[in-house]
Amino acid sequence: MTTHSKSTAATGKHGSGGGQDSQCYFVQLQIDSFLDGDLGSAQQDALLGHIKECADCSSELQFARLVHDAVLDLPLLNCPDGALEPINRLHNERSVQSSPWWQGLSDWFEQLPRSVRYAFPAVLAVAVTLWVLPADQQPAQPVNLIAEQVPPAAPDYTQADVLEALADLNTAITYLNEVSQRTETMIGGRFVVMPLQESLNASFQRLQDEESDHLSDDPI
Amino acid sequence: MLNEYQQVVERHRHRVYSFAHYSLRAREDAEDVTQEVFIKLWQHWRKIDQEKIGGWLMRVAHNAVIDKVRKGKSSKNGDSQQDAYAEVEDQGQVDDPGAEIDREEFRLQLQRAIQGLEEPFRSIVILRDIQGLSYVDIQECLGMSESQVKVYLHRSRRKLRENAELRALFESARNRSTASNKNQESNDSAESAANTE
Repeated sequence: MTTHSKSTAATGKHGSGGGQDSQCYFVQLQIDSFLDGDLGSAQQDALLGHIKECADCSSELQFARLVHDAVLDLPLLNCPDGALEPINRLHNERSVQSSPWWQGLSDWFEQLPRSVRYAFPAVLAVAVTLWVLPADQQPAQPVNLIAEQVPPAAPDYTQADVLEALADLNTAITYLNEVSQRTETMIGGRFVVMPLQESLNASFQRLQDEESDHLSDDPI
Repeated sequence: MLNEYQQVVERHRHRVYSFAHYSLRAREDAEDVTQEVFIKLWQHWRKIDQEKIGGWLMRVAHNAVIDKVRKGKSSKNGDSQQDAYAEVEDQGQVDDPGAEIDREEFRLQLQRAIQGLEEPFRSIVILRDIQGLSYVDIQECLGMSESQVKVYLHRSRRKLRENAELRALFESARNRSTASNKNQESNDSAESAANTE
């Protein structure tokens, strides 16, 4: 750890009073900002005005500028080629080894933009969903009632017995449909159509009777 | 991936090495740190944001330097110091041939003073004043706010100015300059007096 000397303002070397010391202290605090060009014009003028009158602060600014320039002049050093030789050797060995078949695909995938890499799983999920979904929404095939509902044959009945029974059941259902239609017709004819028909006939008859009475009352 | 990695290494290796060298002032240690940084880069390649890779590298270098100093592995023998001095001499510029010795000595002492600074003062001076990184890059490297970086930078420079050896060199050069001015003045007055007679 290097020993260090304090600045003149801190040690009060100037000795002309507390006010001057505090001014020197304040000016020396601003030296770095001045060297970086961060002071406003008024502040710069005030600092330079004090520097002209104060030998210690002038010396301090000179020293600060010397150190500042010397640091800025320090060069960016070149890394010797041999410094990374172990790493280069390691990578050369790695590139000679055969990489697995998926490594090339992985490297290609890594080169894609990040947005594409993140979107890829989402697109894949949507594609799979679209591929699977139409299979669920296909129009239902006409179902052969007999074929769909053929139960496993009971031990006592053969397949032919069951099919015959289902055929009889279909016939019965068809008959009932026809009966139902006739019934509807019959019911409709008896309780709706016929009364309506009779009412209309009665109305027409009444009109005819009234006309014949009118004609009979004619004096001519 | 290997090509991209090699391009990044080529682009950043001088900066990383330079930072390590100014921090540790020993070529072997600086090379070790540089190797360590780029090995870590390879290990974490897929996780790193490529746009911020410069800041990442400097952050890793900074941590590696701190680890090196803590473990006390930096070599402090005269040969490595001589190597460091010779390296800077080869790559630096000498402005004033007349003050050559003083400037070189001043530069050597300055490097010692920089290396003697505590963290984060040392890193900030190297990153900002030597390597010319922006405040934003330094923020990312050291994990500080911009105002903190500026404050620490000013403190770093003040600490350098408090270095006794540097100040002694400056004072001796100033005294020599003052003495030579006085001699010049007395010679001038003697000549003018002789001319008057």
